[in-house]
Order: sequence, then C-alpha cells, then structure tokens
Amino acid sequence: MTSRGASALLLVALVACGRTDRRAQPAPAADPVAGAAPAEGETAAPLAKSTVTLYFPSAAGDTLTTESREILDTIRPAERGTQVLAELLEGPREKGALAAVPEGTTLRRLWVREDGTAFADFSDELASGLPGGSSDEILAIYAIVDSLTANVPEIQRVGILVAGRERDTLGGHVDLRRPLRPDMALAQKKAE
Amino acid sequence: MWRPPPLLAALAAATLVAAADPVPVTITTDSSGPSTRVVLMVEKGARCKVVQETARVQVECDNPIAPTPRSGALDDTILTRFALEGDRTIVFATGPGFRRLDTFELRNPTRLVIDAQGERGAAPARAAAPAKAQPVVVIDPGHGGVETGAVGPTGVQEKDVTLDLARRLKALLERRGLTAVLTRDEDRVLPLDDRTSVANHNRAVLFLSIHLNASKRKDAAGAETYFLSTGATDAEARTLAALENKAYDPGGASSEAKAAAPPDRGLELVLWDLAQNSYLAESSRLAESVQAELNALAGARDRGVRQAPFRVLMGATMPAILVEAGFISNPEEEARLKDAAYKDKVAEAIAAAVASFAARS
Repeated sequence: MTSRGASALLLVALVACGRTDRRAQPAPAADPVAGAAPAEGETAAPLAKSTVTLYFPSAAGDTLTTESREILDTIRPAERGTQVLAELLEGPREKGALAAVPEGTTLRRLWVREDGTAFADFSDELASGLPGGSSDEILAIYAIVDSLTANVPEIQRVGILVAGRERDTLGGHVDLRRPLRPDMALAQKKAE
Repeated sequence: MWRPPPLLAALAAATLVAAADPVPVTITTDSSGPSTRVVLMVEKGARCKVVQETARVQVECDNPIAPTPRSGALDDTILTRFALEGDRTIVFATGPGFRRLDTFELRNPTRLVIDAQGERGAAPARAAAPAKAQPVVVIDPGHGGVETGAVGPTGVQEKDVTLDLARRLKALLERRGLTAVLTRDEDRVLPLDDRTSVANHNRAVLFLSIHLNASKRKDAAGAETYFLSTGATDAEARTLAALENKAYDPGGASSEAKAAAPPDRGLELVLWDLAQNSYLAESSRLAESVQAELNALAGARDRGVRQAPFRVLMGATMPAILVEAGFISNPEEEARLKDAAYKDKVAEAIAAAVASFAARS
C-alpha cells in the first residue's frame, strides 16, 4: 500500500470514529467491507471532496426537499454513508427545510452489506422524539433511506435499527421489520 | 457465526431450571364479534395445543400452567364457561350455538387464539339467514392505552378521537345494514398484528384503520387515505426478509433481540405480505372513494390518496386502508375534532364510501 493510500485510510477511520462513537463498541468482525482495502488505481487524493444530495422534510408541505453538501470522497460505502447521515443529522441549512430526525438523534453505527443492504442503527431519540403522527414518521424514515440510497451507489435498501435493536415501527406506522427501498415519489412531489 | 455470550447462556440455563414452576397463562375472551374469541397468552416454558372433544374444547399444555383467571363464565351461546382441569389442561364448555373451531398461533409473545364459530342468541336458528347476508366491516381505532398516538396542542389524544370516530362509524354502518366490528372498543393497547387478525377471522369485506396525523409543521392540515405501498411488498425485499433474519447480526445489544426472535419470522413476513398484495387494486379503489367523500366535507383540505408501508395494513386478507382524518397538531383541526357534529360528518363521509364499496364486494 502506498503512503497516500494509508493516510487516506487513516483519515477515513478518524472521520468514522468522530461521527459514530465507534470506539465504545467492539470491532465489527463480520463486517464484509471493513477488511476491503481500496485497489491501487482507485485511491483518491486524501482531501478530495464529493458533492452529495440530502433529503429533508420540506417546510412547505410534507414532501422531501433537497440540499447539497460536500463530504470527503471516501471509497468504502459504509464510510460514505456514515458521512451522509452525519450531515443529515446535523440538520438543514436552508429555510425551506426541516430537521429530518428528532433533536438529539445520533447514529450509533452503519453497516453496508455486499448485497446492497445497509443497516443504520440510531439512538433512541429517533423513535422517542417523534411527535406521533404518521406524516413525520414517514418523512424521517424516507429522509434517511433516500439520502443513503441516492448518494451511496452500493446501497439499494436500508434497514433501520434503534438503540441496537430491531423494531416493528418507530411510532406505530411504517413497517421496519425489513429493509426499505427509497420512496422517490416523496421527493418528486416537490415540483408540483 | 453467532454464538451466545456467556451471560446469555447463563440466563438460558437459569430459565431451564425455573421451568418447574407453573407457566403463567393469561386468558381473555371476547364475545362481541360474530365468533367467540379466546386468546391465551402463554409465557415461555410451555407449549399448548387445542383439542376439540364432544361438548368441550380443551387446551392441553406440555407443562403445568397457572392460568389467570383460573375459571370464568362467558355470557354466550357458543362457549359458556372455562376452568383449569388438573395442572395442564383448560377446558371450555361449548354452548348450543357452537358450530366449529378455528385456531391459530401468534408469536412474540406467544398467543394461542381460538375462534369458536357458531350462532349467537337464545334461538340459534334465528341468526342463520341474515348473518350470511350481512357483510362484516372491521374498523380499527388507531393506538390505545399507553400508546396515546399524537397529542394536540390542548392535549386531545389521538387514541380517544380514533375510538370516538370508530364508534360513530360503526353506528352509521349498522344503520346501513352492515355488521361493523371494532378491533378495540375500549382504551387499551392492541398489538398491530391483532388488529388485522380481527378482520381476517371475521372474514371482513374490508379493514379500515382510523388515525389522526401530526406534524411539527403547525400549518399541516387535511385528511388523506393510505393503502399499502407496492414497494413494501417487492418480491426481492420479501426474499431478503427471509434471509435477513437468519443472516445478519448487528452485534452488541441486538444479539439479545436476535436470540429472542422466532426462527421462522422471515417466512411469517412473506406470507403476510402476499396476503395484502393481492388486494392492492381493491384497496386503492376503496381509498379513492373514501378520500373523495372526505374531500366533499366542508373544511377538510384534500391531501389525496397515498401509499406507504403501514405495518397495520400488512397482514390483511381483504381490501385495507388507513384514514388519516385530520391533523391533531393543527389547533383549528384539533378544535374541530372535539366537535361532535364535525365528527359525525367525518364518520358519515367514511360510512358512505364504505357502504357502497361493501355493497359491490
């Protein structure tokens, strides 16, 4: 491995640690992507940026609206997805958008499996902080699912966990028993 | 490969030792529907099966049980009373109206459900003819008990309004010659699977779940009607669901949850999903006609017909929709939802669409 490649990996590891509190947890032995080093040719310059599109609930109606962010152009899908969710959880910058998830929600961990399924494990606030209506529940879930699938080509569907556990629903509405595909209809309605 | 950590193994061992104590079984009965339903919630440590004998139905368990209550009487002509016999059998006496038995099992927690089919009333012959002619509609008041649902700015709780609307709707449907069954007719927690089970086991012509919406956008207002999204029943997702439960190990705290999950949950998901999948076109038609009636209501803003993977619609073996009758988070709509005349108008709108749909099915 070149020294450039090594420093890129180190940087990625630092980003991941800072965002997700991974130090508190045991290393993911079963994570198939964890051991995959980038191939020589693909190694990006350490500080290269990449533009991603985030989906936030619109302040004008219950659709999703988009905002762009720059993230580090990391190679591994789990690292890229972790950065996308960190930006999403930080909240919108524009007036026309609302926070996607309840205040205080953090990402505990994100896995990406080789079959295109990501599992995003959030802190308890994701469920306990919802006001109880299906509308906000649907928007929170699809802000997460759409933001991940739109920006990480390796992710086709997203399973949502809360505090390390599977849940039937967040607040009694959307079925979370299996990974969800994106619902781009929520974003498309914006044009109307 | 996942192996139980030492702590879990120790817990499992402790459970085995404790199995000598009688296993708690909670018995609930419901004679409000066309069939008499008995639900036995069986704690870990015993497996029970239903056996039909002459003039009695027995629940036989493989370990000693401690039922609550130990005996009881039903005000009923299908099943009349029950009692513990010995230390592992519960006997239900059948009445003159009893015809046949349907049983099934729900998991997490383990519940044994007995539907005793038959005829109600003192004169069993009387009910026979009209009972067949009256289609059953199952109405599901969203949330209940500690699950309050959304709460309005002045404290109105979704669970109370949904029950109120459901009762009004039931009365209106019955006036139109339909049989309406509520999944809950009191303020209590009811698991989502049990709600569709009521519809499935009453062979309802449609299942309608009533909810109220809420949003942090204070101006969010209006009514909308949902049916299940097709994406949620995507064939690939179904196959995955079956694999998911075997293959993935999120690690950490969730290992416990995984250990507690039934091994065939994936298969269960596949079967339930297929159920609603074959009714999507009809569900869509029902949703459109309910929404059209709601739109005609003065003051209700049209939010249209939508699709989402609603958990409560997933297992219904008939057309199934979820009506969001308004935003309880909106001060104006909350005020309206306190008004009996407005609630009657909402119920009347839904009843009109439901009755014409039921007439054609």
